[in-house]
Amino acid sequence: MKSKTSKDWYKLDNSAKIFPSVSNDVETNTFRVTMTLKEEVQPEILQKAVDNTLERYPLFKVKLKKGLFWAYFDTNSKPFIIQPMSHIVCGPVHPYENNGYMFKVLYRNCDIAIEMFHSLADGGGVIEFLKALVYEYLVLTGKQLTPDNLIATTDQMMRSEEYEDANAKYYNRKNRKHVPEEQAYRIKGTPLEPGLTGLISGIIETDAILKLSRSHGMTVTEYLVSVMMYTIYITQIQYREQLKSNQKPVKIFVPVNLRKHFPSQTLRNFTNFIKTNMLMTKSDITFEEIQEVVKKQFSEGITKEELIRKMSENVAFEKNWLLRMTPYVLKQFVLKIGYSLLGIKLNTMSFTNIGRVILPASMKPYIKDVTAAVYSGKYNTINCAIITYEDKFKMTFTRSIIETRIEREFFRFLRNQGLDIEIESNYVEDYL
Amino acid sequence: MKYCDKCEIKIQTNHNYCPLCHQTLTVLTEEEVIEKYPKTKSQLREGSKLFRKVLLFISLTSILVLLTINYFTGFNQPWSFIPIGSIVFFWLLMVVGFLSKTNIASKLFFLTILSIFFIYMIDELSQSEGWALNYVAPLLLFSCNLTISFIILIKRINYRDYISYLFLIAIFSIAPLILILFDVITVLWPAITSFGLAIFILLFIIFFFPKSIKDEINKRFHA
Repeated sequence: MKSKTSKDWYKLDNSAKIFPSVSNDVETNTFRVTMTLKEEVQPEILQKAVDNTLERYPLFKVKLKKGLFWAYFDTNSKPFIIQPMSHIVCGPVHPYENNGYMFKVLYRNCDIAIEMFHSLADGGGVIEFLKALVYEYLVLTGKQLTPDNLIATTDQMMRSEEYEDANAKYYNRKNRKHVPEEQAYRIKGTPLEPGLTGLISGIIETDAILKLSRSHGMTVTEYLVSVMMYTIYITQIQYREQLKSNQKPVKIFVPVNLRKHFPSQTLRNFTNFIKTNMLMTKSDITFEEIQEVVKKQFSEGITKEELIRKMSENVAFEKNWLLRMTPYVLKQFVLKIGYSLLGIKLNTMSFTNIGRVILPASMKPYIKDVTAAVYSGKYNTINCAIITYEDKFKMTFTRSIIETRIEREFFRFLRNQGLDIEIESNYVEDYL
Repeated sequence: MKYCDKCEIKIQTNHNYCPLCHQTLTVLTEEEVIEKYPKTKSQLREGSKLFRKVLLFISLTSILVLLTINYFTGFNQPWSFIPIGSIVFFWLLMVVGFLSKTNIASKLFFLTILSIFFIYMIDELSQSEGWALNYVAPLLLFSCNLTISFIILIKRINYRDYISYLFLIAIFSIAPLILILFDVITVLWPAITSFGLAIFILLFIIFFFPKSIKDEINKRFHA
């Protein structure tokens, strides 16, 4: 039993508030981070490791409950149970399944994966959690490891910074202008059977991709987003510019980890975004042209002022007293409508670079590989998540359509730049 | 390791086509690998939903038939609401009582309130003798109070999940006493027994679990 002073419930942070209302079996708003070990995972030990890690991270040991005005996270006293990985990638997290937990720990062969509902944490938070979990697992299997201040191990106490709502902390009332946006171009295709997700990863050598993007005077994310825009252009739009559905701008949603811009150690949602925006209704757009646009939009989007503005816009919406006083049941409808108008339809795809996973030197020999993947649904039919571990730069595309043209052309483009690429796939087309 | 000479990529798999272009892969080194991801299966299962569909179809057609017959026999005696209510009651009992995965206290709370309304309706539509509110409602509240209390006593670990429902049902149990004041309830002993137990439980909660109730109110009502 917990002492009476420990915190046993949490308010949802600003970004977390939207997800429970707008998630369903199609738009699941989950993402997955996988660590691949060099030996086969032993489920009994993993279960023990999860139990220990959850004691250290009580903010994940919660279930979602409805209050009169807002939902909240309440301490979950039921046991957490790990599951073998099924063929479903980033499936929905139902509040009454999985004993009420809002994330899953999956294992298969050498893989340990966490599938997290976005309300509970963002990529940055999950990486910290997964690192601690795998660390604990390896220690339990008898490895001699030292955390080197890179991992919050189970011997430590929880710190209150870990569950702060950092968005509300850096919120600025004066800088919260709402900038209206138009709907984005949507990639269409033949839908896969509901619930199924196609997954294709490409592994590239980290140094090679760094060198390539620097030779263009861009960061890796900027360069790859440009390639992505170009790929969408040549596979979907070029020579069909006159079509009505092609009159909308291609917008790529690139999450920004705000922990790198503001001093916060929260494990909960603390991301914002940069969005590229380009109307591609010409038949002769070159890659260089796209690069210029992307570079400019990135440098505009990443300024502190702009980041705070986007953050404050959301927080101001949440702090609106009219919305606050609306009962939760009705609020869910308001959020649903708002999100379908202002949220997901404004993006063509999301392209997230989680960054480099840094592990203690003693842990590295046991870890082969790290993979990240995000869900894809009805509007964003194809998404991309990138994660780097040591010399492996791993890009994972998830899709809810059968066609693989975008992935194919994307990797062929990089191949033509002289990169060696290794592919992994879940071969979703097998069910056909 | 296999190779696609069209996409110029390497891949480790037992499949023999490229996931990007679906062309045949060239084998570089012959080896049996464990696939990184489990095999995809179609998950459309029509069978399990068929039973539900049939039941729902029968329910809806029965409601329509009942309403039609009731219309021709005169709506001043709306007897069809009793079988229709039973059908609705059956569905709510199934969906909330058995299939839903919410905690048992909230199910009991919901089903008690639902049964009271249902039984009150039957009483009103038949002879209107007042047995529903006089006897059944207070005794249902009484037994619901008792059951949730026992569950809390037995399953200590989850008491925080249940205590708010116990609190709510105890407050509801005060209602029969108010109905006595308005002369709706004429038989006193069931209402007073139910009220007595409710007050006992409320006092018990307020004395021994004041923090739980305060926390619960904070959680549920934060804006």
